[in-house]
Amino acid sequence: MIPPHDLTPTDSVDVDASIEDLPRVAEWLAGLAERDGWTDRMRFGLDLSLEEALTNVISYGFEGLPQAPRIRVDYFRLPEGHAGLRIVDNGIAFDPLSVAEPEVAESVDSARIGGHGVQLMRHFLTDLAYERAGDVNLFTLVAAPMGED
Amino acid sequence: MQIETEASGEDTVLKVSGRLDTLNAKPFEGKLLDAVKASNGAIVVDMAGVDYVSSSGLRALLVAGKAMSPHKRKLRLRTLQPQIQEVFDISGFSALFEIS
Repeated sequence: MIPPHDLTPTDSVDVDASIEDLPRVAEWLAGLAERDGWTDRMRFGLDLSLEEALTNVISYGFEGLPQAPRIRVDYFRLPEGHAGLRIVDNGIAFDPLSVAEPEVAESVDSARIGGHGVQLMRHFLTDLAYERAGDVNLFTLVAAPMGED
Repeated sequence: MQIETEASGEDTVLKVSGRLDTLNAKPFEGKLLDAVKASNGAIVVDMAGVDYVSSSGLRALLVAGKAMSPHKRKLRLRTLQPQIQEVFDISGFSALFEIS
């Protein structure tokens, strides 16, 4: 249930390209969850997934680019209690869903540091979609009340 | 996020509460590595008060685990809330640490 492009967001927030801005975004999300009565699982899944996705954009999305970073998160209230978030940024074209899932490690020594963010998003969300539109990345995250589609 | 450190015999217990998110992961990793240097026993992370963990929080635990492993020291976790346990299960971290 990916929100179509012509759907007007219910709410939006601009995000600074700084990790320090993430708590403010989490508070914004908590307000939406409270207002729209998300289940605890939706709340946890979207909170986690948005943080993972924004951390990647902020950390790697603008390396070496001359333009000023612009990051926005749109929220869509969807049918059947679903909730959608779309991250819009003018950073480097990058599809987070193209990253291979980390191999299952057998020990602390062999475990790879990093790469678990998308794995967690796929687990807690029902739909994920990436698209490059002109000079922006659109990364959409959708959660359902029961964790089902 | 709040962290209280206390000694329990040879072991060190870190009682953590709040969000183990991207912003808090670095100070959490710092506290863990301080504890690794300060003793020779196991480190126990009490997660009863942790209601959120992202991959950055997992990373901090793994960094500490890797620092302890050559010395045959253990990093143990205890009292994970259900959604936190789920994050550990999905990422495969449940198999890397002793969880009670």
